[in-house]
Amino acid sequence: MFKEMQEALIAGKKAEVESLVGQALAASLPAARILNEGLIPGMARLGELFKNNEVFIPEVLVAARAMNAGLAKLEPFLVKDKVQPKGVVVIGTVKGDLHDIGKNLVAMMLRGNGYKIVDMGIDVSPEKFVEAARSSGAGIVACSALLTTTMVQMKNVVEALEASGLKVPVIIGGAPVTEEYANQIRAHGFAPDAASAVEAVGKLLGV
Amino acid sequence: MSGRGLGLLMDVISRELVVSALELQSPPRVPRQLWILPWAERNHPSELAAIRNAYPDDILKCLPFLEKPLKTSGDEYAPGLYIDEWGCRFENRQWGVIGEVKDPLLKDWRDPAAVRIPEERLSVDARKVDEFCRAKDAFVYSWASVNLFERLQFIRGPENLYVDLAERPDELFVLIRRLHAFFKEELELWASTEVDALSFADDWGSQKSLLISPALWREVFKPLYREYVEIAHRNGKYAFMHSDGYITDIFPDLIEIGVDAVNSQIFCMDLWDLGRRFAGKITFWGEIDRQHLLPHGTPAEVAAAVSAAKEALYRGGGVIAQCEFGAGARPENVASVFETWNKLV
Repeated sequence: MFKEMQEALIAGKKAEVESLVGQALAASLPAARILNEGLIPGMARLGELFKNNEVFIPEVLVAARAMNAGLAKLEPFLVKDKVQPKGVVVIGTVKGDLHDIGKNLVAMMLRGNGYKIVDMGIDVSPEKFVEAARSSGAGIVACSALLTTTMVQMKNVVEALEASGLKVPVIIGGAPVTEEYANQIRAHGFAPDAASAVEAVGKLLGV
Repeated sequence: MSGRGLGLLMDVISRELVVSALELQSPPRVPRQLWILPWAERNHPSELAAIRNAYPDDILKCLPFLEKPLKTSGDEYAPGLYIDEWGCRFENRQWGVIGEVKDPLLKDWRDPAAVRIPEERLSVDARKVDEFCRAKDAFVYSWASVNLFERLQFIRGPENLYVDLAERPDELFVLIRRLHAFFKEELELWASTEVDALSFADDWGSQKSLLISPALWREVFKPLYREYVEIAHRNGKYAFMHSDGYITDIFPDLIEIGVDAVNSQIFCMDLWDLGRRFAGKITFWGEIDRQHLLPHGTPAEVAAAVSAAKEALYRGGGVIAQCEFGAGARPENVASVFETWNKLV
């Protein structure tokens, strides 16, 4: 059943994923097992396909929607069983920048891989990143930028977090962003695409 | 300024130079064009003027010459809200760059009438266009900005559109046909003038891949692009295309349908692979890396990039020295692009 669930998820078959999650619950499988052996491996496989240019944004978006449908069905049972997310990630597009499709893809991939996402949206100031990281108990702050003129804001986020005393690693990504730039501003991770962001977050959180 | 100097080249007619480059006829120098975003005019006015003076454009985008004004509101390059002639609403936070659509016209398919086809764009005064072309030595391309994929995103919102492309609702194809018919009409109109080329532009690539699968692009969009190229060629015009991002996978298709020149982010892709596979088959209309080199590099690094582009792509033509002076770019780096090209060819 899990293999079928993963295939339905990768194909973006929302109703089928919902139905299979329902069947798994009806068969009294633990919610955590459905999540960890059914949905998350499907999303991880999708990430690989995306990274290797075997699927593209349309396929990722419909798969993420199917994932969300499955998660929504599972959610009450995860809460009841006190299943914890792998970690909390505060994510946003930096101040002055309104571009968000890349950020949204990263958020979807992370959510689909078992992380709780605090999505701050677009045009997010360093202060707001810090505030959200503090209030959510985030393990990671993830910043996105599309413009060469706004990517400099990432440095401000790193510095604001350092100044706040919060020991929360920052990962960055976006079209003009490079690993070299990440090192230069003392960010803790860099992701060239959404699937790599999941790997980078997992590495930093040790999960 | 190049030691090779403009003196020897002063008599070269820009239009002939561009045609010579497009036809691989070993032009006496590489034709050039600088794209300027308002950010550059605002932040580096004197440096920009010096660059334009030293390296005048050989290629010009025609002015619109519309008899009826476009129904827009606001300034597209200013912070705040800008509503374009289609009714698409762009939010912006920065001077000198274009904003983003956050509230698409068709969040669902219930009200297709919300999409306003801007008929004013068809009110081109062809006589003035022709006068403009005749008054210039430069190679002139159409003002019409045919941008089907981008326009679909502005109308539906990017994420809705991508889901549409996965799910293929009939309404999507009705909308595509409606836009495509308008764009063809616009291109036919420009093709009836004395411009040298028709242009169309869409951003098909992310940093490392196409945004949609090559198969989907070929199935849905390639036939439409083929029609745009056919309009150009049937009327004796060149077909010029722009796309941001990594588009290596569709270069063979662009060549097959007859695109003459493509403006792409060649430094997002494998420059040497592009050269090996496509040089001499299509003209590379720029550019030099505007994401990293122009804002963060040095003039020497820019010169090295231009040299690499020349070695990889130049085949007795087939290259136009184009770059964008956009947000964050350093004037000395922009100057280095043209100075280096003048030294090399």
